[in-house]
Amino acid sequence: MNKFLTMLMVLLLLAPATVMAATVDELQQQLDELSQRLDKAERHVATDRISWYGDLRNNAHSLHYKDVTFSPGIQVDYQDFGGKMATWGATIGAAGDTAAFDNDPTTIAVTALGRAFENFNIMAGNFSPTQAAIMGQGMANAGAGIPISPLMLAPSTRTYDIDNQILYTTRLRLGMKAKISDNMTFAGRLGMFKNWGDSTGTKVFDSWNAFTMDGTNGGNTTGDFLRVERAFFNWKHIADTNFYLSIGRRPSTYGSPSNFRENEKRGGTPTGHLVHFNFDGLTLGYKLSEVTGIEGQAIRFCYGQGFESEWGNGEMFNNETANLKDTHLGGFNIDLFDDGATLAQLTLFRAQDVVDGFKGVFAFPIEYAALFAPTLYADMQKFPTFNFNTRYTPSSVIGDINLVGLNIAHTTDSEVTVFASAAMTQLLPSGKAGMFGGLGTDAVFEARLSADGSEIYMEPVRAENSDTQEGYGLYVGLQVPAPMGKFGVEYNYGSKYWSPFTQAQDDALGSKLATRGHVGEAYYVVELNRNAFIKLSGLYYDYEYTGSGSPVGKPKKIEDVQNGKEFSLMPVVASAWDANVSFTFKF
Amino acid sequence: MKLMKVLIVLMLVVFASTAVLAAEGGNSRKGKYLYKKNCKTCHVAGSEGGELTPLSKTQKQWDRFFNEDKHKKSPDALKKFSEKDLKDINQFLFDHAVDSDQPETCG
Repeated sequence: MNKFLTMLMVLLLLAPATVMAATVDELQQQLDELSQRLDKAERHVATDRISWYGDLRNNAHSLHYKDVTFSPGIQVDYQDFGGKMATWGATIGAAGDTAAFDNDPTTIAVTALGRAFENFNIMAGNFSPTQAAIMGQGMANAGAGIPISPLMLAPSTRTYDIDNQILYTTRLRLGMKAKISDNMTFAGRLGMFKNWGDSTGTKVFDSWNAFTMDGTNGGNTTGDFLRVERAFFNWKHIADTNFYLSIGRRPSTYGSPSNFRENEKRGGTPTGHLVHFNFDGLTLGYKLSEVTGIEGQAIRFCYGQGFESEWGNGEMFNNETANLKDTHLGGFNIDLFDDGATLAQLTLFRAQDVVDGFKGVFAFPIEYAALFAPTLYADMQKFPTFNFNTRYTPSSVIGDINLVGLNIAHTTDSEVTVFASAAMTQLLPSGKAGMFGGLGTDAVFEARLSADGSEIYMEPVRAENSDTQEGYGLYVGLQVPAPMGKFGVEYNYGSKYWSPFTQAQDDALGSKLATRGHVGEAYYVVELNRNAFIKLSGLYYDYEYTGSGSPVGKPKKIEDVQNGKEFSLMPVVASAWDANVSFTFKF
Repeated sequence: MKLMKVLIVLMLVVFASTAVLAAEGGNSRKGKYLYKKNCKTCHVAGSEGGELTPLSKTQKQWDRFFNEDKHKKSPDALKKFSEKDLKDINQFLFDHAVDSDQPETCG
């Protein structure tokens, strides 16, 4: 009995040990398995060095343009024109009397002269009374010692409405982040932005938005290609200080307060009211908050290049365009206060040696051939829907631009956001001009004889004036929580010479913040979940002056262009509205 | 100018109704204040609790921390907070977690 009890007790004592041994073995197995899985994850993390994220937005727009007017013209030095006609005429005899000069090369000039006057007379017969009066006044002005007056290029002013009932776009953005070292990181973003059914990469040049170029590719539909919208490194705490350095393609779009309507956080460093443009450059920043104790306070010196004057411009030919100056942008971007709820931001920038446009590509409009290139037009008119792609290179340094702005945005505890931004742009023209003008001023054209003497053509030779011009912009908005999401209203105004760098803002009607006039917007964001939302939006543009989105050329009252008193080389829109719905998915 | 008037009226109407339309869930901004005032006293570099920032965890990890872990190492640390306070802190840490949307600025 004792033996039995002893054995039983031994068994009872051993049992837990046996069970325990099994449990330890099982745990060890589980640990080994977990270790193996963790090894795989660790290997994956170590080799997959870039962390990806992104968003996809599909948008349907209904676009309506009211009272579009195409009334092209140029400013001409009539005294120079008259003088040249007289000189050329005197050299070869009486105009039209060409028979005696058949063997003289300059006789061809007579043909050109005759053709020019013939064309002019045909056109003049179709001028409206207002246009004819302007032409007559130009001649009279020249006689009275006022050399420069408009020359209308189209026989009559055309005004029409355009209704694009539906336009679909898709925007894909792929963000990248990587850690280089403890105080160095990389960030980038690839982007595709296209309208449905088009991947040509160019548009027919009917506005500055139809210009495929470096600074605005991120915000303009181009096609099914991924472009590098951003790529830069951040090097923080340099030498254990509060300085940081960042170089590369800048995060210079979707800045505050333009991010609220996008339903996303601050999307770029500079204020979106003044700068919404893809720049290549650098930022040297200093975290002032570490010194002052004021939350989020930072001062940044920013520098970028908007135009390279030699490389790629055919500099080996040493021609005129290859000898321009580079365009540089520099200034200060100061976060006065930023605690996540309130942002006060001061921006001071200067664009130095601005040229008459940027390098870019577009499809050449047949309308320009008809106006400026009769020889080209003779063939192009046989192929009215064929537009050759061409690369535009600026031709003149037209001046400098100063930009200054103050932006204040605040979000309350109940998630109500209010913001107000006021800004000024100052144009400092150099007196030079390209085809579309100088800074805030028109180009003055003079007559030239083509190399073979067969044609008289008009060439921009200088700006009409070099007066400093200032423009002002105001941008206010309110966003509030609403059932299932958010509701917002925004308003912005730009004065006659308002010329910010916001052309990469991806509004279908063109950057609303660049508008010289009034824009109102209302939107409703329906949040499906944290990463998906539907946005219903309506925008109304009321343009007051021409040239929204470009500092080149003299702004003119829309009414004056409509009634033929003034001209514009681009079609001019009086008002427009865009009703759109978008589906955005973040991942 | 008619457009401006309509917008201003619209802004006022919407602004007046904001109290009714306030968002549900924790208040991130209050959470930030509570986090800085309370949590950062222990969770700084070199401290006993070790440095901890919103970026230290993912959104799901922060949710698990508040729903399951509940500061297991030192449960008393959370006891002084009300349910609402904890929700606010959770919301702040969730909103600024390593996998949350971040401002896309440089520096």
